[in-house]
Amino acid sequence: MFKKLALVAGAAALLAAGSAWGANGFTLKGPPKVAFLYFKAKNDGGWTQAFDEARPKMEKALGMRIPYVENIAEDAAQITPPAEKFIQRGYNIVIGTAFGYSDTFKELAKKYPDIAFLNAAGVTNGPNLQSFYGRTYQSQYLCGMVAGAMTKSNKLGFVGANPFGLVNWTINAYEMGARRVNPKATLHVVFTGAWNDPVKERAAAEALADEGVDVIGQHVDTPTPQIVAQERHIYGTGHHRDMRQFAPKATLCSSVWVWAKYLIPEIKKIEAGNWHPNPYGDFISIKDGGTDIACCNTVVPKKVVKEVMAARQDIIDGKFHIYAGPIKDRNGKLRVAAGKVISDADLWKMNWYVPGVITQQK
Amino acid sequence: MLDQAASRRLLTTDAASQRSAGSLRVGRINLEVRQSIPLWLQALILGGAALLGIAVSAALLVAAGVSPKDLFDEFVVETFTDSGNFHSILFQAAPLIFVGVGAAVVFRIRFWNLGIEGQMIWGGIGATFVVLHTIGPPALRLPLMMLFAVLAGMAWVALPAWLRMRLGVNEIITTLLLNYVALNFLLHLLYGPWIDPKDAFPHSQQFHSFERLPEIGWGLSSALPIALLCTALAAWLVLFSRFGFYTKFVQDNDRMALAVGVPIKAVTFVCVLLSGALSALAGFVIATAQEGRLTQSFFEGYGFSGILIAFLARNNPIAAMIVAVLVAVLFVSGRSLQVFYQIPFAMVQLIQAIIVISVAASEFLIRHRLHWVH
Repeated sequence: MFKKLALVAGAAALLAAGSAWGANGFTLKGPPKVAFLYFKAKNDGGWTQAFDEARPKMEKALGMRIPYVENIAEDAAQITPPAEKFIQRGYNIVIGTAFGYSDTFKELAKKYPDIAFLNAAGVTNGPNLQSFYGRTYQSQYLCGMVAGAMTKSNKLGFVGANPFGLVNWTINAYEMGARRVNPKATLHVVFTGAWNDPVKERAAAEALADEGVDVIGQHVDTPTPQIVAQERHIYGTGHHRDMRQFAPKATLCSSVWVWAKYLIPEIKKIEAGNWHPNPYGDFISIKDGGTDIACCNTVVPKKVVKEVMAARQDIIDGKFHIYAGPIKDRNGKLRVAAGKVISDADLWKMNWYVPGVITQQK
Repeated sequence: MLDQAASRRLLTTDAASQRSAGSLRVGRINLEVRQSIPLWLQALILGGAALLGIAVSAALLVAAGVSPKDLFDEFVVETFTDSGNFHSILFQAAPLIFVGVGAAVVFRIRFWNLGIEGQMIWGGIGATFVVLHTIGPPALRLPLMMLFAVLAGMAWVALPAWLRMRLGVNEIITTLLLNYVALNFLLHLLYGPWIDPKDAFPHSQQFHSFERLPEIGWGLSSALPIALLCTALAAWLVLFSRFGFYTKFVQDNDRMALAVGVPIKAVTFVCVLLSGALSALAGFVIATAQEGRLTQSFFEGYGFSGILIAFLARNNPIAAMIVAVLVAVLFVSGRSLQVFYQIPFAMVQLIQAIIVISVAASEFLIRHRLHWVH
C-alpha cells in the first residue's frame, strides 16, 4: 500500500480551491462523532495498528467512543458501504487510512457536504475533505544518524517498497543522516516492489546481510527486515511502530507514527467550526505529530542518543531543514540550490538519489 | 479354544441383535447415486443448506453479543429495504457476475482457469491503453475500451490454452503463475510510463466522463445490464446451443466426444477465450464504473470469488449470476455487522465460510439419495 498526499496539485487547483472553499469554513451540524475505516487488520503490526493505538487516546481526549471497520481494501465497492453506514447512523467525521481511498473519499465528500472527511496518505482534498501524511524523512533521517553511528562495516542496508517520491525521500534522508555522523557510510537499497511481502523482504534483507551490511533500515509494511537482522546478529531500524516488539535485540530505533498528537487537535478544530481544510492536505512535521522517532535501544551509546535528540529538537525549532540546499544527486546534478529548501511538490516527485546510495534504480 | 469363545460371543450378539430388531426395527441407511433430480428438490436442498449455514452463523453472532432482533434487522430488513444497501450490493455484484460466469463457462469443460485476476488486469490495461493513446472519437471511446479489454484478456488466456492443447502443460500452473507476470507488468506501467502526470502517484490519469460507464438511473451503473446481457449470451451458448451440447460431451467423456467427431479443440478454445473475455470485462467495469482510472489492486480477491461462485453454481451461468448477487449480499452485510457491533473481520470471514461450506456440502445430497431400508 502506499501512503502519501497531494501537495502537488497545480496552480489552477489552488485558484479553484481559493474560490470554491471561500471564506466560510466547514461547520458540523451537530456534536462530533468520529469513525475510522482501517486499510488492513487492526493488529497488522504496522501502519493500521498505529491508528488503532491512536484510537483509545483519541477516545479519552475527546470523550467519545470511536468505532472502526477493518480490512477495507482500496476499492470503491468496499469503501462506500461502511462509510455510508456510519454516516446514516449519525457519524459526521469519517477518517480513512489509505492512499487508494482518495478518489472514493472525494466522491463521498461531494455527496455528503455536511460530513467531515480525513484521509491518511490520501491525495484528494476539498471543502470538507483533508488528506494528511507525516514528513517521514525527518524521523528516518534521525534513524539514519543512529545507523551511521553504529555501523562497523560502513555499509548500511535498506529494504524499500517501491521507488517513488515518499520512499525515495526516506532513503535519501537516511543516507544524509548516516553521513552526518559517519562520512564513509554507504546505503545499499533493495526495492521489493510490494508494500507487504514478507517473503521478498526476507530475501532482500538476507542478501543485504550477505553483502556485509550491518544495519538494515526499512520502508515496507512488515517487521521482516528487523527480524532478519536479529537472526543474523546485526542491527536494524524500524518503521511505522516501535519494532522492538518483534526484534528486541536488533532494533536500534524506529520511525513511528504518532497520529493521536495530530488527530486530537485537528478534530477539535473541526468541532470548533469554521474549519478550513488545507487545499494541499496536511503534511505534518515531528513538531505537530504524525511522525517521530522511538529512540533508542540500550546498546546505542548515550552520546549518540544525545546528538540525535538534539537534531530532533533543531528540526522542531525550525533551525535545521533536512532538504536545505545545496544538495547534489549522485550523478552530480544540483537538485536543491544553495540557500533554498526543497518544495513539497518536489519532495513528492523525488526520483533521484544522494551520493552514497547504491540501488538497482537508474 | 479362543476361537470357540469368540464365535460363541458372536453368536450371542447376533441373536441379541435379532431379538432387538424384532422389537425395535431400526433398519439402515442405503446410499444411492441419483440418476436425476427434479429442479424443485435441488432448489429445496440448496435453500435448506443456506438456511442451516445462516442459522449456525446467527448462533455464533448471538454468542458474540449481537441481539437476535438486531441481527434480523441488519441482514434481512436493511439488506432488502434500505436503498443505499441495495445499491451497494448491485455495485459490488457486477464484477462478481463477470468472474463467476467467466469461471463457470470454462470449468464446464474441465479447463481450470485460475488466471482470472491476470485476465482482469489485462482487461484494465487494454481499456486504459485506449484512454492514454486517445484512440477513436469520444463517442466511440467506451466501446473501443471494451473491445481492447476483451482482446487483451483473451490474448492473455490464449497462451496457457495453447500450451495445454499443444504440449499438455497443466493449465492450473500456467494460468495461476501468469497472474504474477500480469501483476508485475501492471506495477511496471503504473510506476513507470503510465504514472499519473498530474500528481506523480502510481495510478493512471483519471478517465474523462465519456470514458466512464454511465448510470442508467436510480443510481445504478450500466455495468449491471452489461453483466446481465453477457450472462444471457454465455448461458445461451453453453446451455441451449449445439455448442453447449458439445461442451457437455467434452465434460462428461472427452474420449467418447473425440470418437463421435465433436471438435474438442475448437470447443475448448472457444470456452477458454470466452472465460478470458468475461474476466477482462470484470476488470473493465471496475476501472470504468467504480474507480475511474487504472489502480494497483482493483482485481484483488476476485479470482477466488469467481472460482467459488462457479463452484456453488455448479458451472451453470444463470445460477452463477444469482450466486454472485448473494455473495455481494454477504460482503455488504458483513461490512455493516462490523460497523455496528465492532465484530472483528475474522468473524465476518468465518460466517461467510460457514455459509459457503454448508451450501457446498449440500452437493452431496443433490448427487445422492439417502434411502431408508427396514
